[in-house]
Amino acid sequence: MRTNLSRRRGRALAAFTAAIVTSTVLAGCGSGGPDEAGGGGEGTLDVWVYQDASTKVQEELVKRFNKQSDVKVKLTQVAGDSYQDKMRTAMGTPNAPDVFFNWGGGSIANFVEKDMLVDLTPEFEKDAELKKAFIPSVVDSGRVNDKIYGVPMRGMQPVLLFMNTDVFEKAGAEKPESWEDLLALVDTFKKEGVTPFALAGADGWPELMWVEYLLDRFGGAEVFKRIQDGDSSGWEDPAVMKTAETVEDLVDRGAFGKNFASVNYTEDGASTLFAKGKAAMHLMGSWEYSNQQANQPEFAKEALDYTTFPAVPGGKGDIKNVVGNPTNYWSINKKAEEQEAALEFVKFAAEDQYIEDLVANGDVPTTSDAESRLDKHANPEYAKFQYNLVKEAPDFTLSWDQALSAQQAEPTLTNIQKLFNGQLTAQQFVDAMKGL
Amino acid sequence: MTDVLHRPAPSGEGSGPGKSPVRVSSKSRRPLWRRWNIPAGFGALIWLVVIGAPLYALVASTLRTRDDYLEKGALSIPGEPTLENYNKVLESSFFQYLVNTAIVTVASAAIVIVLSVTIGYTVVRTRTRMSQRFFQVFLLGLAIPAQAVIIPVYLIITKLNLYDSLLGIILPVSAFSLPVCVLILSGTMRDIDEEMYESMALDGAGPARILWQLVVPLSRSGISTVGVYAALQAWNNFLFPLILTQSQETKVLTLGLYDFVGQFRVDIPALLAAVVLSIVPIFVVYLFARRQLVNGLMGVGGK
Amino acid sequence: MPVSSTRLPVRKAPEAAPSSRASGSKGAGRPGLGWAVPGLLFFTLFAIVPMIMVIVLSFTSWQGLGMPSFNGTENWSRLWNDPVMRQGITLSLLLTLFSWMVQTPIALLIGVWSAGRQRARAVLSAIFFLPLLASSVALGLLWKSLLDPNFGLIADIGPWIGFSDGNLLGSERGAFAAIVFVASWQFIPLHTLLYQGGARQIPKSLYDAAYVDGAGTVRQFFSITLPQLKNTIITSSVLMVVGALTFFDTVLILTEGGPGTSTAIVPYHMYNTGFEAFEMGYASAIATVLVIVATGVSLLLVRITGFGAMRSTREGM
Repeated sequence: MRTNLSRRRGRALAAFTAAIVTSTVLAGCGSGGPDEAGGGGEGTLDVWVYQDASTKVQEELVKRFNKQSDVKVKLTQVAGDSYQDKMRTAMGTPNAPDVFFNWGGGSIANFVEKDMLVDLTPEFEKDAELKKAFIPSVVDSGRVNDKIYGVPMRGMQPVLLFMNTDVFEKAGAEKPESWEDLLALVDTFKKEGVTPFALAGADGWPELMWVEYLLDRFGGAEVFKRIQDGDSSGWEDPAVMKTAETVEDLVDRGAFGKNFASVNYTEDGASTLFAKGKAAMHLMGSWEYSNQQANQPEFAKEALDYTTFPAVPGGKGDIKNVVGNPTNYWSINKKAEEQEAALEFVKFAAEDQYIEDLVANGDVPTTSDAESRLDKHANPEYAKFQYNLVKEAPDFTLSWDQALSAQQAEPTLTNIQKLFNGQLTAQQFVDAMKGL
Repeated sequence: MTDVLHRPAPSGEGSGPGKSPVRVSSKSRRPLWRRWNIPAGFGALIWLVVIGAPLYALVASTLRTRDDYLEKGALSIPGEPTLENYNKVLESSFFQYLVNTAIVTVASAAIVIVLSVTIGYTVVRTRTRMSQRFFQVFLLGLAIPAQAVIIPVYLIITKLNLYDSLLGIILPVSAFSLPVCVLILSGTMRDIDEEMYESMALDGAGPARILWQLVVPLSRSGISTVGVYAALQAWNNFLFPLILTQSQETKVLTLGLYDFVGQFRVDIPALLAAVVLSIVPIFVVYLFARRQLVNGLMGVGGK
Repeated sequence: MPVSSTRLPVRKAPEAAPSSRASGSKGAGRPGLGWAVPGLLFFTLFAIVPMIMVIVLSFTSWQGLGMPSFNGTENWSRLWNDPVMRQGITLSLLLTLFSWMVQTPIALLIGVWSAGRQRARAVLSAIFFLPLLASSVALGLLWKSLLDPNFGLIADIGPWIGFSDGNLLGSERGAFAAIVFVASWQFIPLHTLLYQGGARQIPKSLYDAAYVDGAGTVRQFFSITLPQLKNTIITSSVLMVVGALTFFDTVLILTEGGPGTSTAIVPYHMYNTGFEAFEMGYASAIATVLVIVATGVSLLLVRITGFGAMRSTREGM
């Protein structure tokens, strides 16, 4: 009886197993997405975008594009932080996107090296309207080896110094105009029991923003330009040492509090601290504004102020220089089957409705006619401040983690974290960077 | 050779020679001590706090609004409990992730069971040097960390055109579950009495019939252990999906959770609600099949 | 295959078996090697071939695009001088050591305790089991939020354990301790279960005899329970060691190897190099070290403890 029972069970098990294996193999293949070799597949464009608050503007763009085009766009949104890694990983596979969001510079350098991207320079030369549409310096900062590989497709993102005016008022403090003011504020706020600067040190890149501005103010934009162009002796510039020492000094003064190394940005640790009045200032990309607007709307409306990064004593850099992301770009994969449609799609970035949507979403577009549209921005004053800042900036340094190739960006971020954590002295930091 | 092959496992814990081929289990269970053991009980209570407090904080956090969470901290009792966070998660693609994970889990467990049964059977019953070589290959595999070979696996999956498909996760996940499962099953199968094989062979049964009518029924405990192990490996796997998939359609639960950090980044209670929901399916299994699950896991550690 | 062909006649003619009992009992009904081929091929493709490939790739330069190109021993000389790698090896070994030291005693004690049949013990061990139900990712996210210095649990209890500002994940030792703690929190339940299973199989007669001799609980534990659990301890230790050497998910989520590289254990360093910096050739060199170390340690453990012999009587042949 026992064997009978098990025999029946055995058969049921076998049938069950066979069914499962078959169905899952089929399901596995079926759900592989539109991934016949070459990506995209028949009559579609696989477009990848970084997922954040602005994504809905691209969603609308895709809808409009698909209405008038035979080739349909499939928009893939990749969640925040992992975008760069995911995109980079997929680019090595048959599932590579046809058109993808990027930061220009080092973020696409490897692809350019392997000749994987469509050179858009001829297109910009041929199409006068396209060329006219965008601020030239913004198009230029996306160049790699003097060629254009990207069409600007989002707002500008300069890094600004944000302030919590509630905290300032309570401490009777004023907007910092100079480096001395800034250092004085550190002491003022420490006495108040408030962290002077919110800093998301668990992620490397918010710390990088400090280093970028300090190096720019001490040595001018040229120093990093040399480094970016592959001249590693740029790290030996005395301004790098000054920068590293200043970081040490700020950390020692307690400018960032004690636990900044545990605070993260991706889970909104730093922004929340700042909004809740536990920190007085926050050096962050201009997106911090819309971020606060979404999550702490009252704070964004009542107590959020902003200013530029001050000059440093003895610094050679122009105080009007800006660091951050000039904008983001669409680039086209050479392997895309629908080249014409892809080209048409990236040109949509200059479309009237799209620019309008960007403004309505709180972005400051990088089109030449953006200024006239900024009155429709939710906060025209803030939008114009950014726009003029960028327009008047002699140099707009692209964030290092995007300007450098992945091979250099990762260790750079790590070393900067170590500098902030006191695991590297200023001298050791400079030595480590020279070695990259 | 026969003796070596069929020597009962020299463990002080399990079945000895001469006992029934089905492992002694329930019969030998007897309480160790009936007296109260106060220091041990005290230690257990401390451990209860260590395990319980974070779990309490987890569940409590999901029942509060974001502001409540930020103001009051993790341990306080939620002022006005809300299920809003769970709504947020369920409105996202959570179910799709769940279905994908279920497919990967079931398929992987099925593949592993079928392959480890056949391999185990061959290893135990085939009398050639080759089969022992096979076995050693799997012993070696026991030590290969999946992390260490992720780069070539990425290359292979890409070349097979399986990048970003569920099958592309199922295959490597199953492969890395195999060695442990082969070890477990060959152990179980060795305990089957030689005489039973012989009498079936005398009845004229071929290897297939012996497998179905003798080996599989008598290895049921081993097979369920293997199934539980392989299913958990697939269910919890993170590295393979992280590297080998990218699109929404192929996202499994672990990767979905990881990406929720980006989506709900400001909203820790919602993120934790997603964590809770990811545990719920296994928790349900635990409620209904606690014994099998626990015995399965115990089996992983040996008899 | 010549080997299996010798079995064929017997398999084809089972009716011949009864006539010669002795020889029939050896060959009849035995599966040919063909039975194992699908599984073996499968395993070879996804585990053995990659292991060989990772060694080959370690002599190439490959950024994940196009094909790898050979660059001699460049990766290896770089590896030799890579301070992060050295730190990573130290960290991995420390993680292994500490996880073992934390997990074994706790799991052993709780496991033995919960082997008792009292109702209270059953209920509590059901609760102790709970962390096992969650994936590393889920637990990583849970602990990351609990360890947030401003809004997490650590903000409340930090002062008690010497982190008054909650800066656990931001400090070198704190972050490492957090990794050890979370790993232990997650895996102690599994090992508890192993010990519980082991303890339940110790013959009660041994304790009865000891009781008659007047041995107390403590002495019983050391003179009966512990020696009887020898094999379980070995099994559990091997699992812990291999688990710690390949620990990854939690580190990625909890600390991303930070602060700086303070928790960049070897698997994380490999991932970071391969899939964030996209130096896949160099990452393969790191991976090769990981393979060698993990294999070496496992084999060593197998030799020392006879772990293989427990399951495979063919070990060492």
